[in-house]
Amino acid sequence: MADPNSSPRPPLVTGDKTIADVTRDICAPLERGPTGLWWGALAVSCSALLLGVVAVGYQIAVGVGTWGLNKTVGWAFDITNFVFWVGIGHAGTLISAVLFLFRQKWRTAVNRSAEAMTLFAVVCAGIFPLIHMGRPWLAFWTLPYPNTRGSLWVNFKSPLLWDVFAISTYLLISAVFWYVGLIPDLATIRDRSGPGWRRRICSVLSLGWNGSARTWHRYETVYMLLAGLATPLVFSVHTIVSMDFATSVIPGWHTTIFPPYFVAGAIFSGLAMVLTLMIVARKVMRLEDYITHSHVDQMCKLMLSMGCIVGLAYGTEFFTAFYSGNGYEQFVFKNRALGPFCWAYWTMVTCNVVIPQLLWFRSVRASLPCVFALAIVVNIGMWFERFVIIVTSLHRDFLPSSWADYAPTSIEIATLLGSFGLFFSCFLIFCRFAPVIAMAEIKGAAHLGKPAAGRREAHRQEHAA
Amino acid sequence: MSPRTQAHQSPAPLRLEGLSRREFLEAAGFTLSIAAITGCGRAPVVTALPFAEQPEGVVPGRTLTYASTCPGCAAGCGLLVGVRDGRPLKMEGMPEHPLSRGGLCAVGQALPLGLYDSQRLAEPQQGGQAANWRQVDAQITKRLADIANSGQAVRLVTPTVTSPSLQAAIDRFLARFKDARHVLFDPVSSSAILDAHAKTHAARILPHYRFDAARLIVSFGADFLGTWISPVEFTAAWQTHRAPTEAQPTMSRHVQFEGRLSLTGAKADQRYRLAPDEYGLVLSHLLAKLATRAGESEPQADLAESPIAAAVLDQLAEELWNARGASLVVCDSQEVATQVLVNALNHRLGNYGQTLDLARPSRQRQGDDANVLALVEELRGGKIGALLVAGVDLTHNLPGREALARAIGNLPLSISFAERLDDFASLAQFVCPDHHPLESWSDAEPVQGLVSLSQPTLQPLGHTRSLLESLSRWSGRQEHAYDIVRATWRERVLPRSESTDFRPFWDQAVHDGFVQLDAGPAPTVSEFRGDAVELTTGRPVDQDLVLILYSKVGLTDSRHAHNPWLQELPDPITKVTWDNYVCVSPRLAGELGLTDGDLVRVDSGDPATGLELPVLVQPGQHDRVVAIALGYGVRGTDRFANIGPSWLEARPTLAPGELVGKNAAGLIALRDGGLHYVRGAIQLTETGARHELASTQLHHSLHIPANVAPHGAEVRDVVQQTTLAAYVRNPQAGAPESHHFSATQLWPEDHTPSGHHWGLVIDLNKCTGCSACVIACQSENNVPVVGKDEVRRQREMHWIRLDRYYSGDGDDVDVLQQPMLCQHCDNAPCETVCPVLATVHSPEGLNEQAYNRCVGTRYCANNCPYKVRRFNWFKYQRDDARQNLALNPDVTVRTRGVMEKCSLCVQRIEAGKIAARQRGEPIADGAILTACQQSCPAQAIVFGDRNDPDSRVSQALADPRRYRVLEEFNFRPAVAYSRVVRNRDKAPPPAGGGAPSTGGAAHG
Repeated sequence: MADPNSSPRPPLVTGDKTIADVTRDICAPLERGPTGLWWGALAVSCSALLLGVVAVGYQIAVGVGTWGLNKTVGWAFDITNFVFWVGIGHAGTLISAVLFLFRQKWRTAVNRSAEAMTLFAVVCAGIFPLIHMGRPWLAFWTLPYPNTRGSLWVNFKSPLLWDVFAISTYLLISAVFWYVGLIPDLATIRDRSGPGWRRRICSVLSLGWNGSARTWHRYETVYMLLAGLATPLVFSVHTIVSMDFATSVIPGWHTTIFPPYFVAGAIFSGLAMVLTLMIVARKVMRLEDYITHSHVDQMCKLMLSMGCIVGLAYGTEFFTAFYSGNGYEQFVFKNRALGPFCWAYWTMVTCNVVIPQLLWFRSVRASLPCVFALAIVVNIGMWFERFVIIVTSLHRDFLPSSWADYAPTSIEIATLLGSFGLFFSCFLIFCRFAPVIAMAEIKGAAHLGKPAAGRREAHRQEHAA
Repeated sequence: MSPRTQAHQSPAPLRLEGLSRREFLEAAGFTLSIAAITGCGRAPVVTALPFAEQPEGVVPGRTLTYASTCPGCAAGCGLLVGVRDGRPLKMEGMPEHPLSRGGLCAVGQALPLGLYDSQRLAEPQQGGQAANWRQVDAQITKRLADIANSGQAVRLVTPTVTSPSLQAAIDRFLARFKDARHVLFDPVSSSAILDAHAKTHAARILPHYRFDAARLIVSFGADFLGTWISPVEFTAAWQTHRAPTEAQPTMSRHVQFEGRLSLTGAKADQRYRLAPDEYGLVLSHLLAKLATRAGESEPQADLAESPIAAAVLDQLAEELWNARGASLVVCDSQEVATQVLVNALNHRLGNYGQTLDLARPSRQRQGDDANVLALVEELRGGKIGALLVAGVDLTHNLPGREALARAIGNLPLSISFAERLDDFASLAQFVCPDHHPLESWSDAEPVQGLVSLSQPTLQPLGHTRSLLESLSRWSGRQEHAYDIVRATWRERVLPRSESTDFRPFWDQAVHDGFVQLDAGPAPTVSEFRGDAVELTTGRPVDQDLVLILYSKVGLTDSRHAHNPWLQELPDPITKVTWDNYVCVSPRLAGELGLTDGDLVRVDSGDPATGLELPVLVQPGQHDRVVAIALGYGVRGTDRFANIGPSWLEARPTLAPGELVGKNAAGLIALRDGGLHYVRGAIQLTETGARHELASTQLHHSLHIPANVAPHGAEVRDVVQQTTLAAYVRNPQAGAPESHHFSATQLWPEDHTPSGHHWGLVIDLNKCTGCSACVIACQSENNVPVVGKDEVRRQREMHWIRLDRYYSGDGDDVDVLQQPMLCQHCDNAPCETVCPVLATVHSPEGLNEQAYNRCVGTRYCANNCPYKVRRFNWFKYQRDDARQNLALNPDVTVRTRGVMEKCSLCVQRIEAGKIAARQRGEPIADGAILTACQQSCPAQAIVFGDRNDPDSRVSQALADPRRYRVLEEFNFRPAVAYSRVVRNRDKAPPPAGGGAPSTGGAAHG
C-alpha cells in the first residue's frame, strides 16, 4: 500500500487537525444544543411521517383498494418504493464493507452516515412489502416457523420468500456492522460526557470499551469479518429483489439482465442519496474539513460510472428485445418508450443517463450546488426506473383485453411522503445522538498531526519565515 | 354465610397494602377468568330447532331441484330451481326442455337476487301508504262493482301472457264488465310481425322460428341470439349447425343486415351495415330478384337503387334460391309493410312449414300495439274507469309520460300489481304486489303445444299475493293460485293430451316441468295473400340520422333494472356497465367531433323527448345510425348510488337523485298503430359536459396500437379464426404459423394427474358472447358486485369474462368473443410465486386457491398471463341480510385482502365425486357440469376428465380446431378453445389484418 505521505491524493482531512480537534469537531454537534434548523427539519420530517402513518393506518383499516391498483396492475407505488429504498440502502454497505476491504480510506469520512442511511432506508423498504399485503396482520406466514398446520409451510420457490430472507439478513448485518463500528466512538462520547443519561447510555452501548490494544485487536478482527460477511450482501440483496421480476413470466420483467442491472442501479441511487445527505450535513454540521471536496469528487466518479452501467443496461434491454424476435418482448419496450407511460420512461432516461454525463466535467463535480442538484435528479430518476419497470410491464401484458391504466391515489402519495418522513426523521435523530463520522477510523486513516509531504514543505517555509 | 348471599353483598374495597399473596392470586384469577369469559361471548345465542317431523326428502345441506319455467321474459325457457334448506339459490337450464335445451340466459340466472331483494314491496299499498289486504280488497271490490254498474271502461294491461291459467283468470275477471279489454303491451314489441301475418295469412300470429332447420339465415336487424323474442331457444337451435368437424365440414350460413352492431351481427358469417329505414328497399330488391329467378315475368316495380351492392344481393338471392325450404329470413322492423315483405320472401322460398311453423305458432310475443295506442288515446280522453297494470311498467315504457301520469291521476280506479314501486305503481291508487314468480304457482305455453308449469320454491317472503289470486278474489271467488292452475290444467290442458287420468298427468307435469301436447287447436291460417305485398320502392329522401332503440343483452326491459348483477354485467359488445349511452359510428363521431363519454343531447324534434346521454363510439355501426338502449332510468335505481365500497376517493355510482342510465322510452314513436323503436330526423348536439362510462375493457382490438406495434407482431393471435373454405382444405387453418415450439418439458413430470385430469374446452364458433355464463358463475360462486366506480378503476370481480375484440380496422369489423376464465395451467405461473403456498395444484389438475392462507401479495395476479385473478380490494360483503340469502353456502364468501378466481366449480366437482362414490360407480362423463357450462345456451362449453379418452372433453381436445391461448409459452392450460370458422369466401384478416372484412359498398 502506498505511503499516504507520498500520495498525490489530496489529504483526507483538511484544516491541520490534531486528533483532539477531530474529536472535538465531530462530537460538537452532539454536545451542542439542537439548532432551530434541526428542530425545523425534524418538524417537517415528522409531519411527513405522521401523514404516512395516517395514510397507512387508513389503508390497513379500509383495504388495499385505497391505492390506485387494479386487476392488471397489482403493484405500483408499493413495490416501486420498496425497491427504491432497498436501492438507497445499498451504498451504505458498499461504502462500509466493500471499500473497507479494498482499503479505500476516503470512505472513513462518509461510512458512518452511509451505514446509518442504509439502515433507515432498509427500514423504510421493509415497510412496503408488509403494507402492500391484503392482510398484513398475517405477514408472519411468510416466515418458515414451526407450526401446527402439518405440511403447510412457506413456498421456497417464491422469490417473495427469498426477499423476506434477503431483506431481513441485510437489515440484521447492516445494523450489527453499524453498531460494531460505533463502539469506539460511543466510548469516546462516554468519556467526554459528564454524569447524566448520555454517559449512562453510552457506557452500556460501548460494552466497556477501554481502548486497550487487545480491545482494538478484537474490534478490528470483528469489523473485518463483518465487512467480509456484508460484502456478498451488497450483491445478493438486490439480485434477489430483481428476481421478484426476473423469475416471472411477464414481458419486461422476465429478463436475465436484471440482477447486475439492479445492483448497479441500487448502488447508483445509494450514492446519490449519500451525496444528497452529506452535502447538507457537512455544511450544517460544519464538517467541511472532514467531508472534503475530494470525497465528493470520488463519489461523483463512482456515481458516474454506475450511471453509465445503468445506461448500458437500458440499451441492452432494448437490444435483447429486438434480437429476441419475441413480439411480446419487443412490444413492451416500444410501449415503454412510446406508450402511455413514455413520460415516465423519458424522465428516467433523462435523469439517470443523460444528466449524470455532466459529471465528466471537473467543474461540475467541484460545484457542490451542482452535485447536490444532480444527486436529487438521480434519486428521482431511480425512483422512476422502478416505476417504469413495474407499471409499464404490467399495464400492457399478454391479453389486450386486460390492458389497464394506473394512477396513484392520495393515499399512495401520502405513503411515499411518509416513507421519506420516516427516513429523514431517523437520520436527523441519528445526527443528534451519534457521531456522523467514524472518529476512531478517521484518526487512524488520516495521519493527523503528520502533515503531508507537500504541505510539510510549506509548513517549514512558514516556520522559516 | 352461604356463597350465594355473599355474592349479593357489595364487595369491600380492595386494599392493596394489606393484600396477601393468596388474596392477590384470587383476585387476579377472578379477573382473568371473567375477562376470558366475556371475551368469548361473540355471538348472541340463537336456538336452531330441528324439524319435529323431518319432511320426506329434505336433508339439510342437500340441494333439491324443482322443475319450473323461467319467468324472466315471455320466452318460457325450462328452469331447474336449486333449493337448499328452503332457499332457492341457483337457477339452471332444463336440459330436457325442447326449446331452451338446457340453456338459460343471464336474466334467468339472476332471478335469485331479484327474489331476495329487500326493496320488494312486502304488503299492499293504498295511496302511497302501506295497507292490509282486507282493506284493499274491500275498497277495490266496492269500486269495481260501481264501475261494473256504471258501465265504465275497464282496461287490464299486461305484457304477453303465455299462461293459460292467467289468461283464463283475466277473461273471467273482465267478463263482468260491459266495456272491458285486455291490452297486451310488450315494452319491446314485435307487434308488426303479427300484424303482417294478419295481412298475409289472415291470422294474427307469430310463427315459431326453427333456426335449427335453416341452412341459410338472413336477418334484417333481428338480434335473435341476444334479445329478440326467444334468444336462448334460438341460440340453442342456431348452434346445431355451427360446429364443423373433420367428418362433416359443413355449417349453416348466417347473413346479417343491421344498423347497429348487435350480438347476432357480431356472430354473422357476413354482416352488412344497413340503416333500418332501408330494410324495406333491400327486401324488395331481394324479392324482385327471386321473382326473376323463379321465372316469373310479372312487371317489376321501379325500385330505387339498393344501398347494398347489386352483386351482393344477386349472390344472396342465388344462395336463398338454392336453400329454398331451408332458409329463414327474419326482421325486427316494426313497420308492417316491411314485415309483409319478409313474409313474402319466406313464402317465395317455401320456408313456411319448414323453418317457420304456423301450425304450432309461438306465443312468446303477443303485444298488440294498436290496442296500446288506443289505450293511450282513451287515457288522454279520460274515458277509462279502471286501469289495472300487471307485469309491466306502463308509464316508464311509453313516451309522453307526463301526460299519461296526469291522466292516470284522474282515473276513478288504478291498480298496479308491481313487485316494486315502479313508475306506474307510484301513480296508482292501489298497489297489490304480486309474488315473485319463484314464490307462486303459474304456467306457460310459450309455443303452442308446449305447456309448462311454474311452482313455488319457498314461502313468500312478504305479504304479497299472486295476481291469479287477486283477480280471482275480485271476481268473487276465493281460490288459491294452486287450485286455479290445477283447474285450468284439468279443464284446458288435460283434454289436449292423450292422458285421461288427471292425477298422474299432473304429477308427471310437476315433476317434468312441462308437457308436450300432440294435438292442439291449430290456428286457422289462410293461403298466402300476395296482394298484401307492396314493394318499398323509394329510398328515404333525407339522409339524416336514424335512431334505433334496442334492449341490452342481459337486462332486456326495465323489469330487471333493480338487479345489480345485471347492471354490472358488461354489455357483450360495448363492455360498458351501469349506464346506457348513445352509440355512434366512428365516422359520425369524427364528423361531430365526439369521443367516448362526451355528453350529447338527443333531439327528435319534440322538445319534451330530449335526452342527454354520453356517447360511445361503436365500430361496425352504420354511419347514419344512433343507438340507445331501453330499460334504463328506472324509478328507484338511485338505490345503487352507493353500492360500491366507500372510501376516501370513492365516487358514488350515481350523482344525487340520478338513476342508473336514462329512460329512452320517450323517444319511441307512436305512429301507424305501432310502437316504433326506429325514428328518423334525429339531432345530436354536444353539451360540452362529460360523463365517464365504466367499461371493463379499455383496448378493443387484437391489433397493437400502431405507434408501439413491433414489426411482424402487430396482432395478438389469442383468438384465432378462419373461413369454412379454408377449413375444408385444411382443418388446422387459422393456426398461426410462427408457433413451432417443442412440447418437451425442462423437468420430468413429477405429479402427473393419475386419477382425474379435468379440462374445459370452449367452442368459440358456438359462443355468441351472450354472457349467461358470467351471471351463472356470479350466482354459483358468490362473486360480489363492486359498483360503477370500481369498474371504472378496472376492479370488476367476475371470474369469467367475455373478452371482445374487433378485428379489421375499416368501418366494418369482425367481432370475436372469447370467454376468459382461469386456465388452470399445469405449469401455472401463479403457483410458483406465492410465498405462502396459497395457490397450489391439485392432483386432478386444478389450480386451487386457499383463501384462508392467502396474505394478498397479488404476485400471482401480476404473474398470470391471462389476468383472470381477482383481488378483494375492499370488504365487498354487504349487511343486507335478505340479499345475502342468495349466497351459495357451498362457496366461501371471500374476505378483504385475498385473491380469488375461477375454481372450475370445484364444489360441483366434489359433489359429483361424492354422488358417484355413494352409488359405487365411476363418475359418468357429463355428470359434473360447471356453472358456466350448465347455463350456456349455445352449449359451447365442455367440461370433463382428460384422462378418460372417451370423454367429450377428450374428443373436443382432439378436434383440429382446438388451440390454447398463449400456447407457445408452455403454460399448458387445462382450458382450450376451438377456433372461429366463418362461413364465407373471403378470408378473414389473419386474426384481424388490414382489409375490411365485408364486401365493398356495403353501406349507404
